[in-house]
Amino acid sequence: MTSNSRSGWGRILLIVCRLALAAIFIYAAYAKMKPQGGLPWSLASVRTSLSMFAMGVDSYQMLPQWAVSPFAHCLPPFELVLGLWLLTGVALRVSSLVATLAVSVFFTAMASAYERGLTISCGCFGPGEQIGPKRLIEEGLILLPLALAVTIGAFLIHRKRAASASETPTGEAAR
Amino acid sequence: MNHLLEFSHVHNLRERCARWSSAACTIIGLFVLGLGVASGAVAQTTQSPAKTTKPATTTAKPGQPLGAPVKAYGSKGAPITMEVFSDYECPSCRNLFENTLRPMINDYVASGKVYLIHRDFPLPMHKYGYEAARWANAAARVGEFQSVEAALYDNQDAWAANGDIAKYVSGAMSAAEFQRVQKLMAGCAATASASIPSPQIIRVAQASQSCAFDTFIEADRAIGNRIPVQATPTYVFTYKGQHLPAGSGIVSWPILKQFFDSLLAQ
Repeated sequence: MTSNSRSGWGRILLIVCRLALAAIFIYAAYAKMKPQGGLPWSLASVRTSLSMFAMGVDSYQMLPQWAVSPFAHCLPPFELVLGLWLLTGVALRVSSLVATLAVSVFFTAMASAYERGLTISCGCFGPGEQIGPKRLIEEGLILLPLALAVTIGAFLIHRKRAASASETPTGEAAR
Repeated sequence: MNHLLEFSHVHNLRERCARWSSAACTIIGLFVLGLGVASGAVAQTTQSPAKTTKPATTTAKPGQPLGAPVKAYGSKGAPITMEVFSDYECPSCRNLFENTLRPMINDYVASGKVYLIHRDFPLPMHKYGYEAARWANAAARVGEFQSVEAALYDNQDAWAANGDIAKYVSGAMSAAEFQRVQKLMAGCAATASASIPSPQIIRVAQASQSCAFDTFIEADRAIGNRIPVQATPTYVFTYKGQHLPAGSGIVSWPILKQFFDSLLAQ
C-alpha cells in the first residue's frame, strides 16, 4: 500500500469519525432541549426541558447551587454549536480539542458520581438514563477514544499539510 | 522570493478564512438554535404513555374493605403532581425530604401549585425500610401520615440502628391515635417486629396476608417498577395530565422551584 493511499484512507476515517462525533454532540443537545411530556416546541417548553436538565446537573452534587442553572442552560447550546462546528470541519484541531475536553469533563463527572455511589440519571442524552458501568464504558471506551482519534488525526493531517506546503514553494523557488 | 511571499500571503489568507469560517459557524449554530426555539413551528405529536400516575387515593374496590391510605400533601387539583418513590431508611430520601420537599410543602404545596404524593419503594438492602413503610401506611389510615413521615425522616438514624420505629410513630401523634395505629398494625405484628432482610421474606409475608398494608406498599412498588424506578429517591412529574420523564437523586429546592416555575409558565 502506497503512502498516498494510506493517507487517503486516513482522511476518510477522519471524516467518518468527525461526522460521528458531530452527530453525537448535535443529538445530545437536541435530546436535552426537546420538549418533554408531549409539550409543543416553544421557548417555554425548551426552558422547561433545560430546567429539567438542571435538576439532573444538580443531582451530580458537583457544582455550587448558583452555577447549576447557568451551566445547564449553556451546555446544550454549546453542544449544538460544537456539533455544527465539527460538522463543517473548519479549524478542526481546535474544535476536536474542545470536544475531547468536553467529553473528558463529562466522563470525569460520571465516574465521580458513580464512585460516590450516586444512583442518578446521567442526563447525557436527555432524562432517564442511569449512570452505571454500561454508560461509563460507552463514554470512556467509545466517545472519548473517538474524540481523541479526531483530535490526533486533525493534528497529523495539519502537520503533513504544513510540511508539504513548506516543501513546494521552496522547491519552486530553488528552480 | 516572490513565490515565498505569495505563499505566506496565501497561507495567512487561508488561516484568516478558517478563523472567519469558524466564527460564522458559531453564529449560524446560534441562529439555528434561536430559530428552532423561537419559531415554535414544529409541533411535537408524541404522547407519553399513561403509565406512571394513578390517583393518590383510590376508593375501595368491591370486596375490598378499605381503600389505599392517603399518603399525599396538598390539593389534587394542583396543576403539577409530583410522585416521590422513596424508602424511609434511605439517606438520600431523607436529604430530599428535609432540604427540598419540606420547603416545597410549605411553599408550592401550600399555595396549591403542587400535589405531592409519597410512593413506597422500600429497598431490600435496608433492614427496617419495609416496616417503616407499614407504620407510615397505618398512620395514613388515621390521617397522621404527614407527621409520621416527618418523624421517620427526622429520626432515621435512631430507628435505623435499633428498629424501634413505634417509639417515633407514637411521638408524632396523640396516645389515642397511636392506639388506633397499633390496632391496625396488629396483623403486621409477626413481621413488623422483625427486620425484613430480603425480597424472599417479603414475598412470604405477602403470601401470608398477615399485614394489610403490604398490599398498598406492593401496589406502589408495582407502579415504580413500571417506570422503572432504579434507585431512591425517584420522582415523576405530571403537568396537566402530561407525564414527564422520571428523575432521581437529590435536587435542591431552588432548582426544583425553577423547574416548577418554568412548567407553570407554559
